[in-house]
Amino acid sequence: MTRTPVLIVDDEKNIRMTLSRALESLDLDSDTAINGEEALAKLKKKQYDLILLDLRMPGMDGMDVLRKVRETRPDIKIIIITAHGTVESATEAMKLGAVDFIQKPFTPKEIREMVSNVLDRGSNEGGYDEHVESARKSLAGGNLTAAKEHVRMAISRDSTRPEALNLLGAILERQGDWLEALKQYRSAAALDPAYRPAAENIDRIVQRHERGDNIDLGESGGSGKKGS
Amino acid sequence: MAAQLFVVVIGCGRLGAHLANRLSRNGHGVMAIDVDKRSFGALSPDYSGFWTEGDATEMSVLKQAKVDKADILFATTRDDNVNIMVAQVARVEFGVRRVLARVYDPHREAIYRHLDIEVVSPTLLAADQLLKLAETDGPA
Repeated sequence: MTRTPVLIVDDEKNIRMTLSRALESLDLDSDTAINGEEALAKLKKKQYDLILLDLRMPGMDGMDVLRKVRETRPDIKIIIITAHGTVESATEAMKLGAVDFIQKPFTPKEIREMVSNVLDRGSNEGGYDEHVESARKSLAGGNLTAAKEHVRMAISRDSTRPEALNLLGAILERQGDWLEALKQYRSAAALDPAYRPAAENIDRIVQRHERGDNIDLGESGGSGKKGS
Repeated sequence: MAAQLFVVVIGCGRLGAHLANRLSRNGHGVMAIDVDKRSFGALSPDYSGFWTEGDATEMSVLKQAKVDKADILFATTRDDNVNIMVAQVARVEFGVRRVLARVYDPHREAIYRHLDIEVVSPTLLAADQLLKLAETDGPA
């Protein structure tokens, strides 16, 4: 099996070394770049699957690199490295398509777990059906994060089919957000009124709430206070 | 120390910097903390860990340094009181499995042991070594 190519981009030598060392045991093919310009040059020469990208660098910063990569190679996954207390810029980067972010300082274990997670998280290949199937498996195994990612990938491949939305509903319901879950089940049913699982999920939620199991009506004749 | 660990070193003086450099060279993740940023100049050019300027007796500094994720913490400031306090916080509040401290005053060793903190007293080490040397015939 070929080793997954990973590019580490950070202007600080100690961070590049920490990352390279932490990733050694994952047996990846890792390269480093000391700034945005070098990163883009390396990206032209080699097909990377993952980039670990520092946001703050002199010259072309991480955000610029992120934008450029998104335009030309949207399939590359990007993890943002950020200084403590700069979550805002990390969030901004996530909006631009970064898959995750990690704050400095990080332990070797943290970085390894994040990288393996991101690489495992639904490979970019595979069609709608594969991702729906993977999402079902992840959901059955209780891994909501992976399930969500597969659902997202499935929807990005085909947004006209109901299965993925139904699964998204199931994830939200598992997270305790039944109202949002109901919305997703309804969207699924709207896409395909003949799709039974969505219809049944709607009925189940609606019945549970129409029966008023969770509604406190107070006691009749009382003032609402608990009395003897 | 076989696997790749995350080690926090409090105090980046001669001893702290030496420890941090060696740990980093051996492939471990290292975080050095010192109140004086000039002390980080003692870290070697191939040091690959992190460093942060701050007072380790403040919880926020320890939190930011991810002491909760540390496999080992070394308390090596030049102040025994700071070492004992930080070591205790690391052990009790952050649940760090192994906490080791340098303590100058040999009389304090007992307190550390009581707190489940491993200590090394350079005073005792030097005294033992000097006495041992004194018992030999000396240089020819």
